[in-house]
Amino acid sequence: MKKIHIIGIIIIAVSIGAILTTLNNTSTYASFTEAAQSPGSEFHVVGKLNKEKESTYDPKINANLFSFFMVDNKGTERKVILNKNKPQDFERSEQIVLIGKMKGEEFIASDILMKCPSKYNDGKPQETAVK
Amino acid sequence: MVYTGEHLVIGQVGNLFVILSFVFALLAGISYFFAAKDNDAAPSWKRIARISFRIHGLSVIGIVISLFIMLQNHYFEFEYVWHHSSREMPMRYILSCFWEGQEGSFLLWTFWHVVIGFILQRSAKNWEAPVMAVISLVQAFLASMMLGVFILEHRIGSNPFTVLLREHPDFANIPLFSNPQYLEKLDGRGLNPLLQNYWMTIHPPTLFLGFALTVVPFAYAIAGLWKKNFTEWIKPALPWTFFGVMVLGTGVLMGGAWAYEALSFGGFWAWDPVENASLVPWLTLVGSAHLMLINRNNGQSLFITFFLALLSFLLILYSTFLTRSGILGETSVHAFTDLGMSGQLLIYLFFFLILSIILIVINWKHFPKQKEEEGIWSREFWMFVGAIVLLVSSFQIIFYTSMPVWNKLFSLNKAPAKDVINFYNSWQLPFAFLTTLLIAAGQYLKYKNTDIKIFVKKISLSFLTALVLTLLAAYLLGFAKPFYALLFFSSIFAVTANLDYMLRVLKGNVKKAGASIAHIGFGLILLGALISTSKKDTISQNTSGKNIESLMDKFSNNDNILLTQGDTLPMGKYFVSYIGKRFEGVNVYFNVDYFSKNAAKGYKKEFSLSPIVQTNPKMGNVAEPDTRHFLTFDVYTHVTYAAIDNLQEKKTGSNDEYTPAKNYTLKRGDTIFASNAIIVFDSLSTRFDKTKFNLAAEDISVMAHLRVLDVSKKYEAAPLYVIHNNTLQPVPAVIKELGLQFVFQKIHTEDGRIDITLQEKKANVRDFIVMQAMVFPYINVLWIGCIIMIIGSVLAIVERIRKGRISAVKLLSSEKKIEL
Repeated sequence: MKKIHIIGIIIIAVSIGAILTTLNNTSTYASFTEAAQSPGSEFHVVGKLNKEKESTYDPKINANLFSFFMVDNKGTERKVILNKNKPQDFERSEQIVLIGKMKGEEFIASDILMKCPSKYNDGKPQETAVK
Repeated sequence: MVYTGEHLVIGQVGNLFVILSFVFALLAGISYFFAAKDNDAAPSWKRIARISFRIHGLSVIGIVISLFIMLQNHYFEFEYVWHHSSREMPMRYILSCFWEGQEGSFLLWTFWHVVIGFILQRSAKNWEAPVMAVISLVQAFLASMMLGVFILEHRIGSNPFTVLLREHPDFANIPLFSNPQYLEKLDGRGLNPLLQNYWMTIHPPTLFLGFALTVVPFAYAIAGLWKKNFTEWIKPALPWTFFGVMVLGTGVLMGGAWAYEALSFGGFWAWDPVENASLVPWLTLVGSAHLMLINRNNGQSLFITFFLALLSFLLILYSTFLTRSGILGETSVHAFTDLGMSGQLLIYLFFFLILSIILIVINWKHFPKQKEEEGIWSREFWMFVGAIVLLVSSFQIIFYTSMPVWNKLFSLNKAPAKDVINFYNSWQLPFAFLTTLLIAAGQYLKYKNTDIKIFVKKISLSFLTALVLTLLAAYLLGFAKPFYALLFFSSIFAVTANLDYMLRVLKGNVKKAGASIAHIGFGLILLGALISTSKKDTISQNTSGKNIESLMDKFSNNDNILLTQGDTLPMGKYFVSYIGKRFEGVNVYFNVDYFSKNAAKGYKKEFSLSPIVQTNPKMGNVAEPDTRHFLTFDVYTHVTYAAIDNLQEKKTGSNDEYTPAKNYTLKRGDTIFASNAIIVFDSLSTRFDKTKFNLAAEDISVMAHLRVLDVSKKYEAAPLYVIHNNTLQPVPAVIKELGLQFVFQKIHTEDGRIDITLQEKKANVRDFIVMQAMVFPYINVLWIGCIIMIIGSVLAIVERIRKGRISAVKLLSSEKKIEL
């Protein structure tokens, strides 16, 4: 049974390694205020688009630059600079998850996830012109 | 109120089938349970059980047909039909509508279980009663997912036949439903545009057949524990398990193909939780199948064989919970929304988990003791190690994927890291390396013991070939990381070693070479994945010349290219030109031509691609890539941004008119952009020939000097700021060649900035798209590998079934020759 024991020990070691690195290799969900407290580190910030304020995307200047204003779940609003193209149907998003860092008063996002109500359960039955 | 035009009868029929399928699954389970006990009543129980399962199966088929009829005829009075289909949707996507919702996909799963059950009823012989008891029980749980009844205010299941749109709680008080003829005015919400793709008609049935097949080794293992027959279940379960490996593997890869062809994340594998949820059971199923092989040959490692056979099915249940409970929420884009069935799913999972644990624990003492330790040079030892590697690899994946579950359980607040793909890769590459090495060496090792000299002699040719090929690839392609070279070597070694085994040892006998062929396929899949991913080249950089570093020097991530209609820009080894767009139904095709440039002949058109944006006012627009396939590489293109909203209003008004003025506040040295030029504000001056502009001596006038640059030429514009009799009377400057007009509106006396308005001729404003393009080299190796792996698996399964039949006749001792 010796080999079994050796294999067992290796399995346990690798598994612990997997667990520990997994726990280390994570980001944290935070608000803008919390993200501002440690400007160097990366956070996930969940919030909503402020539709009243203007969002700017001018692909002729830079196709990889999009900025807008987001209100996080605690109600803080910050300008967001996204280092990507403006996602399709951005205005329809119901919830936004930003991945990035605070820099001064701005949140520099490297990635964005959107939840569109549309995608899975939007819309109510409406009257439509049916032939 | 009496509504007209509703088809409630079909709903009642469907509902009846739902109830029948549940009741008879339960009845089949109970009677199979008693039939599995050895007593006089067993044969009559078995008769009842068989009939019950057949009624259950026919009911499931009845449910499927009813749902199809409803979808086919657009019976939008049913919420499911309204939710997942619409009139304008092409009929070929009706299958996708069928399984887009949770209910439909559960139905698909149940349906495959029925098919498997029908086959097992005929083929399982002595094992029929205990195995079918387990499957019937599984079916009862699945059928309950469709019941849609309330028990103590808890809703059990979600029933597509009883939920009427006008009664749905979300849509209460909608004025439309006060009209008795509301159906005449109703159209469905429609199918998610992402799923309107041919892959979506074949990927789900394949994947769910793979899911369903894991129930066979599970049921056999449970039956083996229950009947205390610890080894004989393996023989009938083995071909099923390998079939499951093949189908589930194909299903997972089809998901990758769909992502590559139809989704716009640029690749075939993104370690998305939903992808992982089906990959992990596949890994354990592969391990399980190989452990069963060991056991067939020497009866060892029994516990782990049981463990993996049970685990694969339990992981399928866990995956179902992950993807359908809504728990993945923010981490996955394509998880289902919660239908309020997560509790039910958990009960389902825990029932079978606890059942498995109890059966293992009470049988623990009865497991036959291992007589001797496997030899270090035996095939069974290294196959065992391989299964363990797969187990640990799947543990790493599922642990990280389950992050939202740990968050819930332990009130954590962890989000996945930014570069998830890299993290998974750095863990999984070593596992893949070990696995491919074992695949290479496996068949050269003999059961019990191997003469190491012969082993080295036989395998050295493949080893050296692989080494030479790796060095060649390192020279030609180059590897970004040394580990890539190692994985390249081990994958190609797996291919050469199995090829050599097939040709020299098996003497090219294809019938017997199933395992070798399947392993060659697997090696090629990893090889293709490695090269196409590590050498993926994003060729779309912003080369429009309009990207000004001073504005955004902090951003270097330029994956997108801006293409203005008519311009030709260099991109990678090509030159690209956006030709224009065309409309076809809901799709907008953006035609992009690719040219090559040759010193002698100039530009030569190589090919055109038409990435699509599917417009969908109800659910949002979706970009679909277009890919040009070559033998050695693919060029993948998708539109990341296009001004879709303005598509229709093009060509209104004359091209000679000016667009509305745009105001800019500039300080010296500032730059602004017109569609066809860059404008720099250089200076102001007051000394110039005023008579030229018919200005009076007392007029206040300032001239702005603007430098206007287009691609080839430099222009000068000098608008005037004039105050004549206390009123502003600016003199505009026009550059006719470019169709630009500048008006000097204001001077900010406090800081010297000026306001300039810019107008352009409408003809100037050309259409443009923002596009991403990538080159995937040698991705065809991956797809060829898939096909080879499938062919090899089929051969191996056929051979195993054939040998199983022969060995049933022959004596037990002759079975030792069977090697898969």
